Amino acid sequence: MSIRELFRQKLGNVEIIPSASVHTKLMHKVAIREFLRFNAVRFNIYYLGGILAAGISAALILSAGSDSSQQTSNNLSGEKSKTDSIEYFNIPVELAVIQKPDTFKETANELNKINKIVKPSSDLKNEPVQRNVERENPIVAATQVNDSFSKKDLFPEASPDMSKLQQGFKGEEVLIEPSVSEGCSPLKVHFYIKSDSYDSCKWTFGDGGYSNEKNPEWIFDVDGDYKVVLHLFGSDGSQVNSSATITVHPKPMANFEIYPEKAILPEDEIHFYNYSTSAVNFNWDFGDGGSSVLFEPRHKYAKYGNYNIRLIVSSDYGCSDSIIVSNAFSGSEYFIDFPNAFIPNMQGPTGGYFSSKSDESAQVFHAVSSGVTNFHLKVFSKLGILIFESSDINLGWDGYFNGQLCEPGVYIWKVRGNFRNKEPFIKMGDVTLLRN
Amino acid sequence: MMSDQQIIEGCAKHDRKAQQVLYDKYSRFLLGICLRYASDKAEAEDILQESFLKIFFNIKNFSGTGSFIGWLRKVAVNTSITHYHKNLKYRYHVDIEDYVSAETGVSSFEEDFFTSEELYRVLNELPTGYRMVFNLYAVEGYKHKEIAEILGIDTNTSKSQYSRAKAVIRDKLEVLGKLKSNYTENG
Repeated sequence: MSIRELFRQKLGNVEIIPSASVHTKLMHKVAIREFLRFNAVRFNIYYLGGILAAGISAALILSAGSDSSQQTSNNLSGEKSKTDSIEYFNIPVELAVIQKPDTFKETANELNKINKIVKPSSDLKNEPVQRNVERENPIVAATQVNDSFSKKDLFPEASPDMSKLQQGFKGEEVLIEPSVSEGCSPLKVHFYIKSDSYDSCKWTFGDGGYSNEKNPEWIFDVDGDYKVVLHLFGSDGSQVNSSATITVHPKPMANFEIYPEKAILPEDEIHFYNYSTSAVNFNWDFGDGGSSVLFEPRHKYAKYGNYNIRLIVSSDYGCSDSIIVSNAFSGSEYFIDFPNAFIPNMQGPTGGYFSSKSDESAQVFHAVSSGVTNFHLKVFSKLGILIFESSDINLGWDGYFNGQLCEPGVYIWKVRGNFRNKEPFIKMGDVTLLRN
Repeated sequence: MMSDQQIIEGCAKHDRKAQQVLYDKYSRFLLGICLRYASDKAEAEDILQESFLKIFFNIKNFSGTGSFIGWLRKVAVNTSITHYHKNLKYRYHVDIEDYVSAETGVSSFEEDFFTSEELYRVLNELPTGYRMVFNLYAVEGYKHKEIAEILGIDTNTSKSQYSRAKAVIRDKLEVLGKLKSNYTENG
């Protein structure tokens, strides 16, 4: 097969998995570019804000020195456009980074066409519950978070506002009793009917789903406000309707990367790049007892070790997620290996120094390694006599002892030392000395 | 699962989900192409990112005639070429005369003897100019005349660069092959 055919066949359709950071950076760039492009759909959101800000600041300049109350209100509305312009000019790097998740969320939501009106809820906000399991049982966790809340707020007698909201189009009494009315996506809700005087029922859940069950259970996967409607049909043909609103908050996603990827501990200061989404609170556990609540902290470890790094993130609504990177610094890219046979040079000792070029015919018994800093190799005969010793990774055994070629057969070797990351290694094995 | 047609329509409307699906479906394939034109994975990922930006913002120019994957491949190759032009001045140039072409020696290789990883490494180590010509001619199947136009060089330069690239690759593969067969014989 010619070189041309070889490369064409072997590399014509190879798939290689890109690093996770590529996608994150790409979508960030896409977001910025889309923002810079004129688009009729987004006109209202971005450009109107920009025009408003420009108009207001012009008005401000003209009426500079006018009364202060006006100024405060202007500043408030100007704030939104100010954040936009930071994105645009890219001046202060830190600010731009902090802006990142917001921009993402905004664009993503907008694209998903979810018109979300978030009601600030008192109880839930103050009590972010951390779910420190590795992405398991999200539904159960979400339900727990909201149990206490629902019991208090769902009975309409307690709050007149709520009952008004929940009452159906005919002004009927509230007949729906959900297990929770608010929670993190994916949210599992049990619905109960607070009435016995009906023949059959029909539920619509506001996300396209429906059910004819008496007490259905529904899972809302996507965040948003859902209007759940219940139709009750009496045996005499009468119909009663009732509705309730279920609010599903977005679930944050914890994600981060470590830089440098192949860190040398304890020398390197570790940077943590945060790629979490929909989160506002960050809780880092560096695995050595250290912790941080910064968005992108840095940390210096006191000594080498295999640390488990954990990041817990939570949103304004108490929805949380966590991720654990186990053995973050295991030096898997470092190794040391030995061949199990070699053929010494018959013409006399070669001295044991080798290079991949000079030792093409494997005349020297030596290590194949990466990242070794300290090294000590010993070779013994079957009788336990020390035959060869080396503290130089570039010096191997040429098969001679005191100038004499050793007998063919099995020899035992033992090596100990350290890799660059201070990780120690000890290995032993046997090697067969062959003769041509 | 979205079909290619749905992906294209979604991306044309800048639908974020369609972009995500497109990325998930084709990023590995396109990185395989980019890596042939780069000197390491980091550079290949830069090219990949650039390619996706072009794909996302120019997808409405995809006529629908011809295969979609072929169009994606073409974008990746063209981005690699643009990248090469952009970075030309930063490159370390090896004088081509340093490589005396050795036409003697083994010219035939077993298909399964080398892994694609090893072939990538051989390509990555090649001087950039050689790599461009070799990729475009041998793998992509462009003619020397076309390559000359694309890279802004003489047709004869393209031809000689290709034959020298081939010689360098052959040398590297022979060394690698010897190492590997020694290993298998004695191991």
